[in-house]
Amino acid sequence: MTAALFGLDPIGESKVKKWIFSASVAGVLSLAVIALAAPQNGSNAATPPARGRGRGGAPRRGPGGPVPLLSDGHPDFSGIWNGQQTIAGNDVTSTGPGSSPTTGVPPMLPWAAKVQADRAKNQFADDFEARCLPGGPPRIPPYHISLFSTPKLVLMLFEGNTHMYRQFFVDGSDHPKNLKPTFYGDSRAHWEGDQLVVDTIGFNDISWIDGQGHPHSKQMHLVEKFRRPDFGNLQIEVDIDDPGTYQGHWHMNRVTTIETGMEMTEYVCNENNQDPGHLDHANNDGKHP
Amino acid sequence: MKKYAGVLIAALSLLGGAVPAMAHHSFAAEYDANKPVTITGTVTKVEWMNPHARFYVDVKTPDGKVTNWNFELGAIPVLLKQGWRKTSLKEGDQVTVEGSRAKDGSFSANARRVSLPDGRKVFAGSSAPNADQ
Amino acid sequence: MNTNRRELKFAITLLTIPAIAFLALPLAAQQPHKAFPNGVPPVKARKPPAPPAGPAPKAEDGHTDFTGVWVLQGSTTIPAEPSYQPWAQKLYEQRKAAKGKGDPESLCLPDGAVRVTALPYKFVQGPKMIVVLSEGNTHSYRRFFLDGRKPDAQLDLDPAMYTGVSIGHWDGAALVVETVGFNDKTWLDPTGKPHSDAMKLTERYTRPDLGHMNVEITVDDDKALTKPFTFKRVFTLAPGWDVEEYVCQAILDGVEQP
Repeated sequence: MTAALFGLDPIGESKVKKWIFSASVAGVLSLAVIALAAPQNGSNAATPPARGRGRGGAPRRGPGGPVPLLSDGHPDFSGIWNGQQTIAGNDVTSTGPGSSPTTGVPPMLPWAAKVQADRAKNQFADDFEARCLPGGPPRIPPYHISLFSTPKLVLMLFEGNTHMYRQFFVDGSDHPKNLKPTFYGDSRAHWEGDQLVVDTIGFNDISWIDGQGHPHSKQMHLVEKFRRPDFGNLQIEVDIDDPGTYQGHWHMNRVTTIETGMEMTEYVCNENNQDPGHLDHANNDGKHP
Repeated sequence: MKKYAGVLIAALSLLGGAVPAMAHHSFAAEYDANKPVTITGTVTKVEWMNPHARFYVDVKTPDGKVTNWNFELGAIPVLLKQGWRKTSLKEGDQVTVEGSRAKDGSFSANARRVSLPDGRKVFAGSSAPNADQ
Repeated sequence: MNTNRRELKFAITLLTIPAIAFLALPLAAQQPHKAFPNGVPPVKARKPPAPPAGPAPKAEDGHTDFTGVWVLQGSTTIPAEPSYQPWAQKLYEQRKAAKGKGDPESLCLPDGAVRVTALPYKFVQGPKMIVVLSEGNTHSYRRFFLDGRKPDAQLDLDPAMYTGVSIGHWDGAALVVETVGFNDKTWLDPTGKPHSDAMKLTERYTRPDLGHMNVEITVDDDKALTKPFTFKRVFTLAPGWDVEEYVCQAILDGVEQP
């Protein structure tokens, strides 16, 4: 069958010989494919923007209308929100978990530049997204999120990735001392006018900031400002300071729209994840890829 | 590849609203957009599960041999937005699939467009660059 | 003849090289990562503080407020022996005999809506929804919809879920939550009690005082059971606690220590 697929004639008539020939042809060709595929300068940055919706074009706009309020008078962010788009001016530069270049990346410290370059050379094969491990903020979560506002606590529920949650404490409390480093960090929030300013520290250093493999250290300090200008739209300003990784401040603007057509599904990433078996890994020791 | 000339499908977009292009993994790490395949065959299994729905197709080559292909679709949230449902594809259905072959040489591919039994041609929620979702 | 033997030898040589290369590739099928091939080790539960005394609080809308961090009192094993149909009883016996081997919870798959862990759960209540955050298992969430919706729209998208779709309504001071839309992939408890995708779950939550939350759980499953069964759980409030981060998949994958 393989022989026929590649337009070659099997040797002899014996079925065993045919099988051996077919298997070996497949094997050699596969080896060749792997050899060719491995060391490529395959950074997704080289890929032209997709023709599809989103990247390269204007960001989506949701419906207008008044913003619902909580009992304490603050904006209520509750709802299901579509995948965020990072914008620069009026152009979308990346979507989803960041498979196209994110904007405003400051110069990296040498260790970080090397790590990012290695990840790019390896076609981002070890991406935590592919391994069903947490993306962690500030990475854009895939598919939908649900925001659930209560006066003292705002929850962000993820549909995709690891289907986990973040908690933004709006109760005036400070970050605890001696935080154990985590994927999601510790988030304390306060209102500045109609903007919810969420301050997060306490990150571990193993997740990727985006699909481009930009790393971060435990020093990362993330500030996200959420604003709902009208019913159907949400703006998120992202500010990253991580002197352990980047020489300079990293700012991004993101937008998203309210989802009106469907509910969030129960996405269980690791129920049938066959990708790790197929991805060509340069290094799969599971540590700091 | 003469014996294997596929039938090119003129894909019609059935998509209404925008679908964000999300990738569970780097497309280029696993699939090769320069290795297109077009397969016609019978569905043997559908795995309506995440992170990618998958379906398996038995393909008969002209000499009567059968290969079973593993096609990767998009994630279920993406497919749902495009109008797919768990029962859109069933064992026994005849389909034609356009996709990009896996780099590791296995009989698997990332599906870009699927011609469904009811005549519809739908996008497969592909994470490939330039894939219309 | 000689040509064939030569060609055969050549073919075998060709086969050996890629065969060795193939063996070096990760296996294609989904399986536990090498860090814990038989599943993650069980988590040590923290001993909760004694529950505080006082009356149960009310939410802004006057209903019982279940907001808080709650810890299960007693065992995670269901204190009842369900009346199973023969196929389900057989499966139950097999799982009991296997003593936890193949336990989906240890493979970082969702517990679903019946099984719980000994780690804390945080209830966050609003007038239209209650979210239950789990510290353990997949560190995920359940949503009890209180807005009067029917489960149909969710079931159209997601007909067979681990955790189902939960619709709640108030019955005086009690919250009644009905959940449908299950797959059959979860265990009801660590002993491996099975269920089918026909399972319908009813949970009746009450908060008799500040420090206690009682749940009466009824499992109805006409494909697996000969009749429904009911059991009770008690949770105690753990003031000063929060749900901490626990990422099962990271432990399974070897990027975090247990």
